[in-house]
Amino acid sequence: MKLNTFYKSPVFLKSIFVVSIFAIFFISAITFKHINLLNNSSKWVNHSYDVNLELERLFSYLKDSETGQRGFLITKDSTFLEPYIHAKKNIDHSFALVKSYTKDNPAQEENLRKLEFYISKRQNYLSLSLHLSLKKPLSDKTLKEKLIIGKETMDSVRSQINQMILFEKKTLKARELRYKDTIKVTPVFIYITLLITLLLISVSYIRITKDLDKMQLANNRLTVLNESSNLAEIVGSFGSWQLNLDTKEVVFSDNVYQLLGCKPQSFIANRENFIKFVHPEDLSFFEGEPTDRIENDNLAPYTYRIIRKDNQLRYFRNTGRIVINRSDNKILIGTTSDVTEEVLASLSLEQQNIELEASNKELLAFNYVASHDLQEPLRKIQTFVSRLSDKEYQNLTDNGKDYMDRINSSVERMRILIDDLLQYSRATKTEKAFETINLNDLLENAKFDLAQSIEEKKAVIHSETLPTMTVIPFQIQQLFVNLIGNSLKYSKENVAPEIKISFERVTAQDEDLIPKNTKDKFSKITFEDNGIGFEQEYAEKIFILFNRLHNKNEYVGTGIGLAICKKIVENHKGFIFAKGEPNEGAVFTIYLSENC
Amino acid sequence: MEKEYIHIILADDDEDDRLFFTDAFEELKINTKVNTFNDGVELMDYLNHDDAILPNVLFLDLNMPKKNGIECLHEIKQNEKFNDIAIAIFSTSSSEEHIEETFVSGANIYIKKPSDFATLKKVLSDVVTINWQYHTSGLNKDNFLLRL
Repeated sequence: MKLNTFYKSPVFLKSIFVVSIFAIFFISAITFKHINLLNNSSKWVNHSYDVNLELERLFSYLKDSETGQRGFLITKDSTFLEPYIHAKKNIDHSFALVKSYTKDNPAQEENLRKLEFYISKRQNYLSLSLHLSLKKPLSDKTLKEKLIIGKETMDSVRSQINQMILFEKKTLKARELRYKDTIKVTPVFIYITLLITLLLISVSYIRITKDLDKMQLANNRLTVLNESSNLAEIVGSFGSWQLNLDTKEVVFSDNVYQLLGCKPQSFIANRENFIKFVHPEDLSFFEGEPTDRIENDNLAPYTYRIIRKDNQLRYFRNTGRIVINRSDNKILIGTTSDVTEEVLASLSLEQQNIELEASNKELLAFNYVASHDLQEPLRKIQTFVSRLSDKEYQNLTDNGKDYMDRINSSVERMRILIDDLLQYSRATKTEKAFETINLNDLLENAKFDLAQSIEEKKAVIHSETLPTMTVIPFQIQQLFVNLIGNSLKYSKENVAPEIKISFERVTAQDEDLIPKNTKDKFSKITFEDNGIGFEQEYAEKIFILFNRLHNKNEYVGTGIGLAICKKIVENHKGFIFAKGEPNEGAVFTIYLSENC
Repeated sequence: MEKEYIHIILADDDEDDRLFFTDAFEELKINTKVNTFNDGVELMDYLNHDDAILPNVLFLDLNMPKKNGIECLHEIKQNEKFNDIAIAIFSTSSSEEHIEETFVSGANIYIKKPSDFATLKKVLSDVVTINWQYHTSGLNKDNFLLRL
């Protein structure tokens, strides 16, 4: 793991580089030393040859002088003395040379001293015998003696010279051996160093290739990213910018220019140049330092108007946040979006909303005032009619009495209609006073309101325990009154109405009837009766205002009651459904949201 | 010399309603003295007069020109002189807001004008014979509205 991290770190490449440089220096040093060695050794070979040659030459001069002497001794001819004299000079010269060659070798010097001794001995004999023969002719005997001594000294010289040559050869051989040893080890050494260097370089090559590949890949990705961000800016009609808070340097993306209706990078990116496009009334957004608008490193979004180069008015929204770059500079990066469509849409939506709200309010007020104010004259008609009935009824003809009854029932119908309308408009009113209340109490109140009717019809109401919920109490009570009242009204003749009220807590997921997209929990309350029921095809129609399934002569009613129920349930974020079967009964199911 | 009677005042701009009101009391066998005023201004002028005989029960219509019932209610409740007057709101409307507002402002009972004469008589007879002390001490939002 540690090795792996080292391999990946930039230090790795640097170390390889340093090691390789050292290896190359090392190799060149070794090579240089080696060449030096080679040079030296060839010099030593030459030297040995020189020594040997000179020794041979010395020996041959000695032979020359001996031959000359012998010739002279035999012939007494002085011409033979010439090589002798000549050789003597040469011998001295040659000896001096050998001496100079071997002066750094103590063993050879020793040998040379012996040789010198033998040579001088030999020369002495030569000159002695020559000297004697010049005085008087030598007897054969002495001559022979002298010659024998001469030969013996010559042999010594020869053997000494041979010994020296041998020694020189030996030395050369030893040197050669030593040189060979060195030369045998160094190449291996150089070779190994070279191999290691090559290995290191290969490893770093692989590493560099890999890095390059990675860089290429990253580069490609960056190019694609850059392109897609440019594209995203154009599609999303926003531009991005950077403001270095320390150096005041500003960078705009191409699309910032395009949003201003200019060619990319067509003016110098700075605050002043940008502010030139800002609508004069919105310049306040750009007063002071940009940092004034920053809170917790975030630039609070603000919307302002700009006038494009082509004099188009557009709405821009700026937002951004602070980041700190590697050089420890605070940089405000942000986006400028063209939100014109959004702003215009929301403006027109707002306007429509205001109008809608106003017209809705007007309608409600009208509905309320109409039904409320209609009550006043109606009440008076009823009161006057009741006074007439009480005081003057007996004075009327039968026809008059009939008219009176018809007026009475019409007025009563109108009163019910106005009452229902008033209730409906109250259910629609926007102010809603929610209270947490026990629904059982509301059900009891509803039963109390309907007590007379329940008693008349001998109705039986079974109810499960209802929950405590947060609701608009008077509306839920109204809902119960309307639903139970409905069951009582549409009961079968001669059959006591039976109403079953059941309760269950459900979620949207469990119920097929309600939309699945709500996550709310619901209280499901079911009202089931044994009344005349209805055709299922009317199940939705019955909740529509003024919609009735029966003629008003069969069943009195205004067609408002169930519409009120629907309104109330909707006020509680709920749903109401009806299921009916003719002559079997009807089931009303209400779902009230528990999160009101 | 005079018998003990209940002094009743009605402030209502509607002539018919005033007629029903006085007729009803005429038919009722209760010893009452009924005064009527056409609007809130007239009522308050009368009440604020130093020699005014203050009523036992004041019936206030809500919707009146010049000065409506709610304004009268506020003025009356601000003046200690009127502390002993029982105030019955007498209105066509039975809207929650009106009931709530008048209850909070200190009215003693809320009556929705009935739509037949027999009921009117019964209601008025009930109201004027209420033991106000008893009613007021146990007053709450539920029994504030007179159920018929």
